[in-house]
Amino acid sequence: MEATREIYWNIGHGVVIPMYILAAAAFGVIAWGFWQRLPIWRQGKALDRFDHYDERVKRMLAEVFSQAKIYRVTSGGVFHSIFFWSFLTLFAGTMLVMFQADFFTPLLKINLLSGEFYKAFSLVLDLAGILALIMLAGLFIRRFVVQPEGLEIVKDDYIVLQLLFAILMTGFLTEGVRMAATELQQNPALARFSPGGLLAGQLFAGMTPGTQLVTHKIFWWLHFVLVLGFFCAIPYTKLRHILTTSVNAFLAPLEPKGSLATINLEDESVEQFGAATIGDLSWKDIFDADACTSCKRCQDRCPAAVTDKPLSPMKIVKQIGELAEGNPAGSLVETVSQDALWSCTTCRACQDICPANIEHVNKIIEMRRNLTLMEGAFPGDEVRTAVNNIEVNGNPFGLAYAARGDWADGLQISVMEQDSNVDILYFVGCYASFDKRNQAIAKNFISICNAAGVKVGILGKEEKCCGEPVRKMGNEYLYQMTAAENIELIKAYDVKKIVTTCPHCFNTLARDYKDLGLDVPVEHYSTYINTLLNTDRLTLTPEPFKYTYHDSCYLGRYMDIIEQPRAILSNAGGSITEMDKSGYDSFCCSAGGGRIMAEEKLGSKISEVRIKMATDTGAPLLVSNCPFCLTMFEDGIKTGGAEGVLQVRDLAEIVAERIAV
Amino acid sequence: MKTLLIGEYREGKMLESTYELFGFAAQLGGESAMLMVGSESQLPAYGGTLYLADAAACGEYNPDMHKKLILEAVQIENPDCIVFLHSSYGWDLAPRVAVALKAAQVSEVIALADGGFEVGCCNGKMRRTVKPATAKTVLTIQAGSFPVLQPGGTPDVRKLEAAGGTTVEFTGYEAAEKKDVDLAKAEIIVSAGRGVGKKDNIPVIQALATALGGELGASRPVVDAEWVSHSHQVGTTGQTVSPKLYVACGISGAIQHLAGMKKSDFIIAINKDKDAPIGEIADVLVVADVMQFVPAFTAKIAR
Amino acid sequence: MKLLVCIKQVPDLESRFKPDAAGVWYNETDLAFRMNEYDEYAVEQAVRLREQLGEGCELTVLSIGPDRVVEAIKKSLAMGCDNAAHIQDAAAYSKDPWQIASIISAYAKERNFDIIFTGMQSQDRGSAQVGVIVAELLGIACTTTIVNFDYDNGTITAKRELEGGIKGVVKLKTPALVTCQLGLNVPRYPTLPNIMKAKKKEITAISVAELLKEESLAATTSFHPPAKKGGGIVLEGDIADQVEKVIAILKDKTAVLR
Repeated sequence: MEATREIYWNIGHGVVIPMYILAAAAFGVIAWGFWQRLPIWRQGKALDRFDHYDERVKRMLAEVFSQAKIYRVTSGGVFHSIFFWSFLTLFAGTMLVMFQADFFTPLLKINLLSGEFYKAFSLVLDLAGILALIMLAGLFIRRFVVQPEGLEIVKDDYIVLQLLFAILMTGFLTEGVRMAATELQQNPALARFSPGGLLAGQLFAGMTPGTQLVTHKIFWWLHFVLVLGFFCAIPYTKLRHILTTSVNAFLAPLEPKGSLATINLEDESVEQFGAATIGDLSWKDIFDADACTSCKRCQDRCPAAVTDKPLSPMKIVKQIGELAEGNPAGSLVETVSQDALWSCTTCRACQDICPANIEHVNKIIEMRRNLTLMEGAFPGDEVRTAVNNIEVNGNPFGLAYAARGDWADGLQISVMEQDSNVDILYFVGCYASFDKRNQAIAKNFISICNAAGVKVGILGKEEKCCGEPVRKMGNEYLYQMTAAENIELIKAYDVKKIVTTCPHCFNTLARDYKDLGLDVPVEHYSTYINTLLNTDRLTLTPEPFKYTYHDSCYLGRYMDIIEQPRAILSNAGGSITEMDKSGYDSFCCSAGGGRIMAEEKLGSKISEVRIKMATDTGAPLLVSNCPFCLTMFEDGIKTGGAEGVLQVRDLAEIVAERIAV
Repeated sequence: MKTLLIGEYREGKMLESTYELFGFAAQLGGESAMLMVGSESQLPAYGGTLYLADAAACGEYNPDMHKKLILEAVQIENPDCIVFLHSSYGWDLAPRVAVALKAAQVSEVIALADGGFEVGCCNGKMRRTVKPATAKTVLTIQAGSFPVLQPGGTPDVRKLEAAGGTTVEFTGYEAAEKKDVDLAKAEIIVSAGRGVGKKDNIPVIQALATALGGELGASRPVVDAEWVSHSHQVGTTGQTVSPKLYVACGISGAIQHLAGMKKSDFIIAINKDKDAPIGEIADVLVVADVMQFVPAFTAKIAR
Repeated sequence: MKLLVCIKQVPDLESRFKPDAAGVWYNETDLAFRMNEYDEYAVEQAVRLREQLGEGCELTVLSIGPDRVVEAIKKSLAMGCDNAAHIQDAAAYSKDPWQIASIISAYAKERNFDIIFTGMQSQDRGSAQVGVIVAELLGIACTTTIVNFDYDNGTITAKRELEGGIKGVVKLKTPALVTCQLGLNVPRYPTLPNIMKAKKKEITAISVAELLKEESLAATTSFHPPAKKGGGIVLEGDIADQVEKVIAILKDKTAVLR
């Protein structure tokens, strides 16, 4: 007997037209539902996210079908991904059935669903259904039984889970009755390829043929109506993420990570800077709220949220959505709260983990811009002082600008003002220039360069703060003022390459200064030293040591420099024990986003939490690559009671000690 | 040189700082007379001429009338120098007298200099020598710069009276915030300055104060930033102190602060900047980061 | 109502001061300049009053000095002053307080300001004279060192900061001049729209020669660092070593550790 089945068995081909009409109506509901959202999204400012169409489509398809961003977090993610693939398989199978019944059979007179292919088709679909049910059960248990902290339960969760469960169950029941009435009797060998149906069929085996036919019709229609319900529910429940989250993979920015809109300060027609109300955000910022699935991965990783500060990136995204829908003229800052906005370290952990490509950080910075540029607000007086200091002396400490280059006295180094014929310009940054602990790193970097025969120049007292902390605090004006002075200087010296020891300077010079007209290659010292080692310009005498390594946010997550520093340390003889959170999952030191200038008054101390992670590795040494991190960790070791247990040192110190002579 | 010293009187009492004027006059040499708007019940222990106007009639703060009284005394005495304390009373009144006489005024005199006066500037970091070019000179002297001198005796009181309106109506005093600490009585004071970095670090300084059995003091910026309450403030706008040991942690030494604590018996200053003005008056200057030195110091003492 | 606020641009006090060639003032090389801190409080108070009085009130900011002082003027305009007068004087540093005050009063005389705000003193020279002399030359009421300011219908109520935390409460009828002490208010940080607007506000440049008719009354003959006190011990180097030494000195020279 041929392995196939009769499509529309017991239903009849007459159902085709009403079925298509109903399906079209369901798609109409989806379209109508999203059409109604359009005016809400369009309250935002214009932003072109439809350029580089091919690239965007490719990224979207890759992200959606691979589910890579989803299963990156095992809890919930694996269930979701497997469910997605299973459900997709079922959907594809149903489509194939549809094409067979309404296209291939009537027009081409061929039957794809027969023979060995049908057996495989049948088995795959049944297994997919079973898998989907198991995953659904897992998701159900996770949400309603395990209830991970912070995971909200809303009405949508009940609707969606029950709906999906009912669709899958009615599918198997329909199949079961059909098989009880047909395959089980006529072709039991084929029935083995439908394990789900086989199982469900047992329920109906004892029924009279008449009852079976009626029962089958009921289940068939029930399944069909539920599927229609599923489609109709998409725009009105969390199911919307099927479209919005996928589309967000298309809409996500193509610019380098961390790019911020450079405000045109010459445009005198602009009267509002930053985001005060919904209309000051972009349409994409509002759309993001619809793409959010409340998975709270961002909140779990946010260093501010973890240390009990009043910031949840997820909550901010939702608050934006609520304002856009209910009160577009309402104040963003009041809704979100100043404390929440100032708590952000711009560490990008939220954005990096977000499976929906939501851009949390720039929203926060836009709101900070409103606070700073429109209201002259600061998170605290200490920040006001630091900002004033940067204005007057070009450093947050308020130390005399003329002393900026003093640390280099007596070192083999040229000050550009006197001799600008150098291999690299070392942009020192404020901490390495003025802070005693960090001056050691600057000096070590110089001895590394000296050993490699690299001629280094510094700007000395001409250098100013790169402007990063004030920019992240929202003060675009001061950022552009200081940046312009640095850029003008650097351009005048005809610099070939810039190297920084600070990831914040590095990001700013390498990426942000481009917008302001600086086009010189910029490197962080970790990649620079790695190249010196790989090209044998620098050789180390390895000395064994055990360590753990902190990926600073602005080197790792922002600039994807994760392996190089580890390679250097391994070259130096180190053996690493990774912390609980490392690489892209690294946990901020607390000093990003301009927080280096601020006191941490709310919640517990982020640096202490990170120090705890470091001591948990058992390694006696924590290696960092950023002056802000180093400063925070020196502090966190003292206040967190890790003195004598853990020591924090900079990459440059480890390398400099092992230079081969 | 002949001087007319302008004594100070507030809330019914002659201020002790008035005696610093005698200390200054003694260094300058020459005859001197004093003028004070005060009361007969509160006379300085001094045997010279005292022009006295009644504060009850002329007010404790009434610059128009006090100016008139001083000009009257100047008319009689014809002094070379009219000397005020550099205080809220002195710096308010001195320029008014100077303008009326078209005399040069030298403010915040901390010492005599060859042919002129030494004054502080740039927040105590630098000094200037100023030479007046007028026949009469108005001076204000920095508190604590000249010795307290009680010449002894009973003054020859000459009463002055003044009449006329005023453009500034004084309506009363407002008491200082309640003190939770009395630094004036403390034998050991450990003070925090801006150099401690942040409010969170104040407990580290407090711990040293406790270990030494002393009180916590602070400089003005620390109080202004509300890291500690005003009652801890040392300096001319806070409290003037003279403990047996004064430990200045991260205090660079603005002149107002130095004036408030320079009479301490022994001063230890901890400062990153070797050239900070506090170094001039410190018996020991520890050049170090406060937040590194103080915890180590406390630990050692506590043992 | 016409208001005037007088500001000075001074070097940041963290700077290292070196005498100039003549040895009578500081050498400006390597100095960072900013608005005198006391004057920031004066500008803030003036701007608050300007806002309180609303339309029909005009607030002028005045500064004497070389071209660099325009930076401080611009900041005041961004904070909310309406217009500015820049008395151009490349040698302002050489003028004594009497001359500076006479320049300001010559400017203010015809313009009939109702209230003039100044800082209590400058951070660099610190004479605390200019405000009072201006008031005396103009013959208007004046009080100094205010830490609180209220204005209502022609009367100023101010609190003066006295020694030991006590305050004196005074009332003045306008026209009047007040000199502002630190802590009077929290000077605002200029907003970007106001910085942009300030670029269009008028800064009237006036040559100092037009206003200065007075000779100096006192001359600075020397500018120098303070003489080091002899006998003070300076401890540098290792922390542990420093601690040991300090404890030894305390045991030797004081009774506190016995």
